[in-house]
Amino acid sequence: MGGILSYFRGLLGSREMRILILGLDGAGKTTILYRLQVGEVVTTIPTIGFNVEQVTYKNLKFQVWDLGGQTSIRPYWRCYYSNTDAIIYVVDSADRDRIGISKDELVYMLEEEELKGAVLVVLANKQDMEGALSVAEVHQALGLDALKNRTFQIFKTSATKGEAEAVIASVCCNFFSLLNLRFGLNSDQHMRAQRLLRGQRFIANSHGFYPTKLVSIEARA
Amino acid sequence: MLEGLRIFVLTISAHSVLCILIALIGRPTTRTRNFPQGKHLSVGFLVSDKGEIFELKSELNNDKKEKKKEAVKKVIASMTVGKDVSALFPDVVNCMQTDNLELKKLVYLYLMNYAKSQPDMAIMAVNTFVKDCEDPNPLIRALAVRTMGCIRVDKITEYLCEPLRKCLKDEDPYVRKTAAVCVAKLYDINSSMVEDQGFLDQLKDLLSDSNPMVVANAVAALSEINESSSSGSPLVEMTPQTVNKLLTALNECTEWGQVFILDSLANYSPRDEREAQSTCERITPRLAHANAAVVLSAVKVLMKFMEMLPSDSEFVTSLTKKLAPPLVTLLSSEPEVQYVALRNINLIVQKRPDILKHEMKVFFVKYNDPIYVKLEKLDIMIRLASQANVAQVLSELKEYATEVDVDFVRKAVRAIGRCAIKVEQSAERCVSTLLDLIQTKVNYVVQEAIVVIKDIFRKYPNKYESIISTLCENLDTLDEPEARASMIWIIGEYAERIDNADELLESFLEGFADENSQVQLQLLTAIVKLFLKRPSDTQELVQQVLSLATQDSDNPDLRDRGFIYWRLLSTDPAAAKEVVLAEKPLISEETDLLEPTLLDELICHISSLASVYHKPPSAFVEGRAGIRKSLPASARAGSEGVESTESQAAPAVIPAQDSLIGDLLSMDIGGPTVAPVAAAPAAPFGSAAMDLLGGGLDTLLGETSSSPAPPSALAASSAALLGDIFGAPAASATYVAPKTTWLPAEKGKGLDISGSFVRRNGQLFMDLTFSNKAMQPMLGFAIQFNKNSFGITPASPLQVQSPLPPGVAADASLPLATTGPVQKMEPLTTLQVAVKNNVDVMYFACQIPMHALFVEDGQMDKRVFLATWKEIPAQNEVQYTITNVMHSADSNFTDTVVSRMQQNNVFTIAKRNVEGQDMLYQSLKLTNGIWVLNELKIQPGNPNITLSLKSRTPNVAEGVFQAYDNILHG
Repeated sequence: MGGILSYFRGLLGSREMRILILGLDGAGKTTILYRLQVGEVVTTIPTIGFNVEQVTYKNLKFQVWDLGGQTSIRPYWRCYYSNTDAIIYVVDSADRDRIGISKDELVYMLEEEELKGAVLVVLANKQDMEGALSVAEVHQALGLDALKNRTFQIFKTSATKGEAEAVIASVCCNFFSLLNLRFGLNSDQHMRAQRLLRGQRFIANSHGFYPTKLVSIEARA
Repeated sequence: MLEGLRIFVLTISAHSVLCILIALIGRPTTRTRNFPQGKHLSVGFLVSDKGEIFELKSELNNDKKEKKKEAVKKVIASMTVGKDVSALFPDVVNCMQTDNLELKKLVYLYLMNYAKSQPDMAIMAVNTFVKDCEDPNPLIRALAVRTMGCIRVDKITEYLCEPLRKCLKDEDPYVRKTAAVCVAKLYDINSSMVEDQGFLDQLKDLLSDSNPMVVANAVAALSEINESSSSGSPLVEMTPQTVNKLLTALNECTEWGQVFILDSLANYSPRDEREAQSTCERITPRLAHANAAVVLSAVKVLMKFMEMLPSDSEFVTSLTKKLAPPLVTLLSSEPEVQYVALRNINLIVQKRPDILKHEMKVFFVKYNDPIYVKLEKLDIMIRLASQANVAQVLSELKEYATEVDVDFVRKAVRAIGRCAIKVEQSAERCVSTLLDLIQTKVNYVVQEAIVVIKDIFRKYPNKYESIISTLCENLDTLDEPEARASMIWIIGEYAERIDNADELLESFLEGFADENSQVQLQLLTAIVKLFLKRPSDTQELVQQVLSLATQDSDNPDLRDRGFIYWRLLSTDPAAAKEVVLAEKPLISEETDLLEPTLLDELICHISSLASVYHKPPSAFVEGRAGIRKSLPASARAGSEGVESTESQAAPAVIPAQDSLIGDLLSMDIGGPTVAPVAAAPAAPFGSAAMDLLGGGLDTLLGETSSSPAPPSALAASSAALLGDIFGAPAASATYVAPKTTWLPAEKGKGLDISGSFVRRNGQLFMDLTFSNKAMQPMLGFAIQFNKNSFGITPASPLQVQSPLPPGVAADASLPLATTGPVQKMEPLTTLQVAVKNNVDVMYFACQIPMHALFVEDGQMDKRVFLATWKEIPAQNEVQYTITNVMHSADSNFTDTVVSRMQQNNVFTIAKRNVEGQDMLYQSLKLTNGIWVLNELKIQPGNPNITLSLKSRTPNVAEGVFQAYDNILHG
């Protein structure tokens, strides 16, 4: 019995969470991806296509996809939706003109059947810029109040500025703990996780062993 | 164990899906039960195919890298067997960002294949390319840049410029060299982008790279780009500096790199002799290379640059010596390489026979050579045959003629004949060898021998006719058309020496209808010859053959020739004798030499497919017009070249070649001008033919049998006629424009034509000078005009000295009629001409000076002039000033003008003096009946004359002004 259990634990460790970083072009998606991965600010060029990196946090592996935000590429976002566990939606808070477009893209995306079970994190980026919208304003502009049946959180960030390091860290922390819900690693939030997971389709991914994982964690707890 | 389990689960699921689907489709309802069995099968297959894609899709999205890799492998496997897996494009692209080199390569492979079918989605791959081009691993950088070049999707090429630019400056030579090749690929996709983005300059910079491999690839890319450049001219010109760098890199790079460098050096033209010589010196060591391609490319460069050096210089002599050993060495490799080498040597020998003149022995055929090598060697042996080695060659050839391979034996026999023609001293031995061979009675040997003996007779007339009797013994065995035709030609040609020639020919005539057309034509000619030589007892025979040729044959060539002979014999037997039994020109030594300009072009393509085919690349590579390569002007011909370009600039507008050809396509080249037969009958041909079919034959027979007309009288009369036309030069001082070059030799494949238009005794002539600047005699000249504004057309066939030996110029005067078809040209006086000879049909355009078209009856009655002048509306009046007329200060200047114009058929109707000015009223008429009325205002002391012109068709004004200018200045 113990053998099987340790096998499952190994499985758990290797199971990668799939996260998409989306948003309009120039919102800072690629910068955030590499901030998450290597912690440094890298110089980026417009992403024509995608970047994918593996991010490890607290023994958990995440496969983070950063997709280009240009108009010509947005139609292909949908090719990446399947099996997605979470979406990081990055908004350029200083770009007041296009916040409406950003909202439309968000709403359009959340309507996708394949993303019904995905957790949403909105990052109001570029908070360091003058005249940037506040978190509340971004929350308002994106119409997040109207969201139903969606686990989501909104943070303010500045991907490039040093003083925002702490914010980034907190984002990561908060974000990953939000994701942890799913695994029920935190027993305090286990009940919430159960509620979240009930009847949801993310369990039904390619191999059928996944549900047993929860049981095993329970057993360990 | 678990792996197994999982696969089992997968197969179960796939299988169960299949089962369910098939069960659903194939449920035995009344409807489906009637389906034929095949339907079920195809449906089943379809389902399983879809299932496969679905399965692959899920595998591609698997988390496990190993699984992913396996899945991509499966996808590639399906791709290679031809299954369409393009539906998996997004999933495969998502596997692209990986640190696993193997997986990356597989994905790149997939991309190259399917990017075209998914052009929009291909954009998702761009970022990965950009990233990979900055990967720390140079292999990945190179892989990325190479794949980028292979993705031919317009939408994404622009994104790939930046990474490419970086890779061209990469620190790793492997990446740089890959990027260089990528530029050439990109040029093929979007040439303007490559030019705009400055990649060409970057590529040029790579020519001075420190790494020879990079240099070689940059050279290869540049020559590729130059060749495909749309403008037709090389985009990147090589400078002496770059050439120097290339020569340095040459010694260090790989063998194939050397080939690239040498090939591009071959396209470079050194500035002067010194540079050519020093380049040759640095290339010469490549001749010792083990790789045949390197050797041949080096030979190509040397052959080309040698053209620039004086042929008597010591350097050329020593280089000639150095070229022989490497070529000989090539002949010790595999037969296939030998063949390629031989084809190239064939060209080299034609261009510079000196190189291999002492190496005859290596071309002797070995018993185990494949046939294609044997035949090629034989060809070269003949080319190398000279007085010095002919004995050796002949004994070899005699040996070959006894071999077993029929093709080879034939060629050997033919070679003996060519030997005889080429080396006069050997002719006797060759003939006796051929006679020996005929004695063997081997059918095909005899036939070949007869074919070549015919050529020997042509070359050495009245020397070997004693062997005719031996030939005649073998008459019955000849079954090949060429041999039969040759034999018939011999009988006809020497009919007077063969007692039973009539019997022999008659025996051939029995099966006339079954003969090959070549034989039929020969038989017709031979019998006519026989008839002309022995008219008394061969009438029946000639009558028979003429009726066979004209009435019973469907072959137009045969019928035409029959009619021509018939007509000739019936109208003027003496002329017939002159035509049919005319002394034939000697045949040239080398019958199968390549045309010199083609040879020069092929020399520039040594070691390519063109040199193996002996055809220019444009003849077999589609869609590549490319730049035609040519050898540099040789050292001695340099000054001539300058002259010819000067004279080239002189002639008036020559329309672009394309438009000319377009216009002339509608012309019938083979029209009435084809046969340059003397004394063409005046009656239209159609009625003559009718006449012939009627009582023509009787008159012919009556005339010839009663008394063979003395040919001298007839000839004399026609000579007198000709004298009338050509002999007496026009006494009047008609203005004659100097001859201008209409067709320069470089455009006319060696034929240079200059000419002018003249009016003599009321007849328009085109005076032409034909200069043969090629290496071989030209014959079979004919001329034809395109439709033109004045309906000008040749009044008689072109009479030029034929054959025209090399280096000789011949004059011809072509009488012109104005009864041809009319089509308005722009400018009006343009005449498009086609000249044909044995080489090709050449097209050019010339301008007819208007004054040549002024007819003699152009004098108008005074009253008519006045009335017409008033009648023509004022807007038809055109003014012109003739400037700087000489002698205008003379007191009787006006009279000079009057008389000079009169000599050119411009008639002065009236002369008035108004306020010290002389007013002249003149009229002229063009060949097409257009009247032109002129008013000249001459002020004493003023060198300028004002001319007012009125005509119903004022567009002739331009030409008339030009004519006035020419006449008054000339």
